[in-house]
Amino acid sequence: MNPFLATFFKDLLILWRDRAGMLVLFLMPMILVLVVSLVQNNILAVTGHAGLRVLFLDQDKGFVAEAIRQRFQASGEIELITEVQGKPLTEERARREVDSGHFQFALLIPAETSARVRAKSLLLAQDLSGASENSLSEDNNPEPVQVFFDPGVQGVFRTAVLSSVRYALLGVEMSEIERQFSSELNAQFGITPSQENASNAVREPRILLKVREHSPENQEQSRMPNAVQQNVPAYALFGMFFIVVPLSGALLRERQDSTLRRLLILPVPYWVLLAGKTLAYVAICLVQFGLMLLVGKFLLPLMGTPVLQIGNHPGAVFLLALCAALAATGSGMLLGTWARSYEQASMLGAVSVVIAAALGGVMVPVYMMPQGMQKLSSFSPLAWGLDGFIKLFVRSGDLASIQTNLWLFVGFFLLTLSLSIVLFSRQGRSGG
Amino acid sequence: MGFRKQTDKVEAQAILTAIGLGKSYGKGNSYAVDDLSLSVEPGKVYGLLGPNGAGKTTSILIMSTLLRPCRGTLSICGTDALQHPARVRKMIGLVPQEVALYPTLTGRENLCYFGRLNGLKGASLEARVKACVELVGLSENADRRVEYYSGGMKRRLNLAVGVVHRPRLLFLDEPTVGIDAQSRHMILENLLQLREEGVSMVYTTHYMEEAQQLCNTIGIMDKGKKIAEGEAKQLLEAHPGCANLEELFLHLTGRHLRD
Repeated sequence: MNPFLATFFKDLLILWRDRAGMLVLFLMPMILVLVVSLVQNNILAVTGHAGLRVLFLDQDKGFVAEAIRQRFQASGEIELITEVQGKPLTEERARREVDSGHFQFALLIPAETSARVRAKSLLLAQDLSGASENSLSEDNNPEPVQVFFDPGVQGVFRTAVLSSVRYALLGVEMSEIERQFSSELNAQFGITPSQENASNAVREPRILLKVREHSPENQEQSRMPNAVQQNVPAYALFGMFFIVVPLSGALLRERQDSTLRRLLILPVPYWVLLAGKTLAYVAICLVQFGLMLLVGKFLLPLMGTPVLQIGNHPGAVFLLALCAALAATGSGMLLGTWARSYEQASMLGAVSVVIAAALGGVMVPVYMMPQGMQKLSSFSPLAWGLDGFIKLFVRSGDLASIQTNLWLFVGFFLLTLSLSIVLFSRQGRSGG
Repeated sequence: MGFRKQTDKVEAQAILTAIGLGKSYGKGNSYAVDDLSLSVEPGKVYGLLGPNGAGKTTSILIMSTLLRPCRGTLSICGTDALQHPARVRKMIGLVPQEVALYPTLTGRENLCYFGRLNGLKGASLEARVKACVELVGLSENADRRVEYYSGGMKRRLNLAVGVVHRPRLLFLDEPTVGIDAQSRHMILENLLQLREEGVSMVYTTHYMEEAQQLCNTIGIMDKGKKIAEGEAKQLLEAHPGCANLEELFLHLTGRHLRD
């Protein structure tokens, strides 16, 4: 076995036997991604940023319920659920499911709603045309359309949902009134509306003033990640950069106990040994990353989150992870060369990674930061990685779209490596 | 006749020749090693004695090619070690003052790793690892992790790793510091055996009896300079008031504390 491979396997063995270190490297990011993704997924659900699953209890079976069903389903963001665990929904079950937080809200269309709307529309049409001698009176015992909310649903989202329901109902009422009014005019003046118009009128209210929503021209670029797409790469990078702690510790220990001296008088160039060590730590980072992808793909969905989608360019994903791993090992080498004690290396290593993670949008997405922080964020290697993975996972990015991210990582690796070499040379090849 | 003459010449050639070595750490600092000259012949042990801070470790680092001197020349096995350090590294071994081992690897794994880095492989690597483990009396504990070894076992393994590749010249920087009498005795026995096998050594220690027992030549250093050199017997004869090497050492370097 040549010195490069011997060093690679030696360092892998040392890392493998450091069970506490392994737990920190592998378990910590997994636990973080599980907890944060589940919490964030719930927050997105109760604030309406995720697709909604709505309990829909149709006791009406008429055109009103049908019109509301079609309107919600047409939005594409709402899935109407009419059965729970294979059993048709009841009012009591719907209340229970919403109260327990399994669903954010339930919509109940009471029986006879369509018949009541039709009767009232007829009365209104007759009243407007002057055909009715009876004035329109209030319904003494109205059975309203009911909406049950999860108490955790936030105010703005609650208002938006109620407005949507009211708008849908208003549309149905207007259409029905228009239809009845047309019929009344026909009866009085002999005007016959076409069958098609009458049919359309039931479904679509006539809108005189429209509102047009302007989206960014490149919708791909503005697409936001869901909790899994944000947190899996974020905490994978966080875990990968934590490699600075064991790596700097290993380099420091070699320096302090004179193992480095022993290595330096070997008939092997030191860079060969350093390359073997780097490869071992890069391999550990890549295994970490792979495991985190598996968590996003298989474990998190078991807990109710969306499945992690990694886009159509797995090669680009691997390359970005590789470059991030190189950057992480580079910073570990720099810290291990610069630090004078294990305490200094471990403390500074951990704190610097947490700061870089906070700046890089791991804990709070960059777009939610103030302007000044967003500018600072661009200096964090974790931000380069996260931005690249979101391009690949969410915005249909390819290798070309993450070129800048790759070069930033490679540049960072070369910079930290060069600084390490300069520091190492200053220490005079004497082991410190 | 001609061949015999040539062989004698090679045998007589010193394996290490240092002339006028000097080293200071930074401008304005005094010399840690000042004008050090010494020579080690094949199969001989050169003992460097001196109080703390005398420059023994710096001298070892320079002679083992780890540190570049500010001045002087250094030749190892006939090669200019300052010009071609990589060439001479195949022929030298180092046993540092600290236990320079990987604690989570076993004794055997440490030996295999350093053996491989020195170019050993396959059956020859296995044979050397076995021989080294036996040499230092660790056969039964070779597959235990070093972190569970006693201080003496670690020191013995430290020595074994330094000789796994059969160096011609071995540098030992206080290899017996901080261990019990039994382990010290065993290490000394090992070193005597290596000397018998023809391994040359440069050896630093604070233990005078060790130096007397092991070293063919003794150099006493103080404040970076060599202040005395010769065989132990010659040195004692030159200072009739000193009954043993320790008295001679205190006579030459003084009784005040060195921190």
